[in-house]
Amino acid sequence: MNAWLERLDRALGRALDWGAWLVLPVVTLLFLQWPLRDLVHGYSREANDLGQWLFALYVAMAVTVATRAHTHLAADLIARGYSPRLRVTVARAGALIGIVPWALFVLYAGSRTIANSVAGFESFPDTFNPGYFLIKIAMGLLALLALVQALIDLLRPRVPA
Amino acid sequence: MSVFGLALLALVALGLIGTGLPAFVVLIGVSILGAVVAMLSGSLPTELLSALPGRLVNLLESDLLQALPLYVLMGVLLDRLEVASAIFGTGMALMPRRFGAPLVCGLGLGAVMSPMNGSVGASVLSLARSVSPRLAARGVAPATRHAVIAVAATFGVVIPPSLVLILLGDAMLTAHTIAANLAHRSEQIINTQNVFRAALVPAALLVLLAMSIAVWIGWRQRNDSPGETPRDLLVPRQVALASISVVLLVALLGGVTAGYFYAVEAAAIGAFTLLVIGVACGQLRGAVLRRTLADVMATTGALFALLVAATTLTLVLRIYGTDRLVGEWIAALPGDDRAIAATVLAAIGVVAFVLDAFEIIFVVVPIVIPPLLVRVADAPWVAVLVLLALQTSFLLPPFGYALMMLRTALKETVPLRDVVRALAPFLVAQLAVLALVLTMPALVHLLDPPAALAADSAPLSDEEVNRRMNELLAPPEEGESK
Repeated sequence: MNAWLERLDRALGRALDWGAWLVLPVVTLLFLQWPLRDLVHGYSREANDLGQWLFALYVAMAVTVATRAHTHLAADLIARGYSPRLRVTVARAGALIGIVPWALFVLYAGSRTIANSVAGFESFPDTFNPGYFLIKIAMGLLALLALVQALIDLLRPRVPA
Repeated sequence: MSVFGLALLALVALGLIGTGLPAFVVLIGVSILGAVVAMLSGSLPTELLSALPGRLVNLLESDLLQALPLYVLMGVLLDRLEVASAIFGTGMALMPRRFGAPLVCGLGLGAVMSPMNGSVGASVLSLARSVSPRLAARGVAPATRHAVIAVAATFGVVIPPSLVLILLGDAMLTAHTIAANLAHRSEQIINTQNVFRAALVPAALLVLLAMSIAVWIGWRQRNDSPGETPRDLLVPRQVALASISVVLLVALLGGVTAGYFYAVEAAAIGAFTLLVIGVACGQLRGAVLRRTLADVMATTGALFALLVAATTLTLVLRIYGTDRLVGEWIAALPGDDRAIAATVLAAIGVVAFVLDAFEIIFVVVPIVIPPLLVRVADAPWVAVLVLLALQTSFLLPPFGYALMMLRTALKETVPLRDVVRALAPFLVAQLAVLALVLTMPALVHLLDPPAALAADSAPLSDEEVNRRMNELLAPPEEGESK
């Protein structure tokens, strides 16, 4: 069980590491919008749409990256005085009664929207450029990754204090 | 049941302080609790919850939110490329050798860098690393260092084109649209550029006042100086880096304010330029680049997670009708525009003791600002007041976010009483600017284009509205369609 969990954790970490590179095309495409619009007079909407779905995939992964890197904002001035054992218990309770049901609900309530969008290869509504369905997939990915990470954190053996 | 929504907000505050859990987890946990209670009650419109996936998609496809990773990348690159040290060093070399000079340089650095950093937290970390040792080397007392760095780090809240301003601009746009519809008013809806323009004069006032206070502190403490302090020399590489950064910020600010490009594009230009500089200088290669990108993703994720959680909570609060309850309370407030705005600001100020600026923008602003704008039509004025209140709240002891971050970053124990004493003149200056803007709304309109001034000063009569609507609906003349 532990070995299986570790493998899943490492695989998730590797996938998310690759996701970090997505910010480079996002920055480049959004930077290009201005010269494309004002100098080339074309393709700025395409750059925007491409940047948009890359951004969606990027932030969908980034939420779980923040969880793994412990960069979420927290006001823990008082909690710093708690024992490590209590802090781990509180963190697990947060995952169990917060993140897990939330992610399951988003996946359940959004599954039809995602399925319909993917089945029809939904395009961007304003520009008709392809790829809008990837934004719907990103919504599901965000919830799925949060769920997997929460389950890993819940099932991981308690680190001795 | 509307009051239960307010109880949920109180529970968020308690959960944040009491559990030490990430705000993202607390907000989602409280949302789940609220949703379960709503379902058990059986009398609330819980079908609204099915809108959550759609709302999350709205976040993912928001043009404005693309600015998040861009600003975070800029903040990380400014730190990695040692831009802060370059600007501070160049400033010190150019300034006269007075005791107040390092304090003025530290504040100037905050004014230049904080708007380009992703958050107050990023600014605190960057300034603590680059400025604090230099201030210490010049004999500046620890409490004064804390005060100056905390104030400098919060400049990014009010100086455009910061991330807080962009996000508040978006929240204000939504709030203003709702308010205009509710009040059946025909008016130009506020956008991010309006907020930028409106914030510029109060922000400039604030920076000037803070710098004047720094000079005054330096003059008072001149006798405490440990004699000869090291003199900074002009280093060509530092001067070049500092010049490029300052010119870039001024160009971005000017370009956005003048409407040459959008705020997100400005952020993209800034981030792209710094990225190219970093790669060209050989400072962003291999492991350093990978670590930079990992830091950017982790910080972006933390900010986006707050958005996701706040979106969930506001949906639950809507189920309880809490937004309507707050609206009724604000509608019943006595007094003129200033009194109503001051009351709502005071409430935001209290909330800011426990919530960060981003949480306030995403959770509190959508609830309190639409009803406020129904009563008070001057949206840019309200936006600037909210920004100033947020900035002040970051500095209010003992829980001010900038102060707490700084204590962690500097890892030195300074009695809170000393920090409060050092911070007091700066807080007085901030409250003075807040009071000035509150009593003189015209201050935020000094940079309005002439057309906007004319439109604002002459509200449309019903007849004029009808005439314009008829013009809009009139069939095109022959030839126009060709």
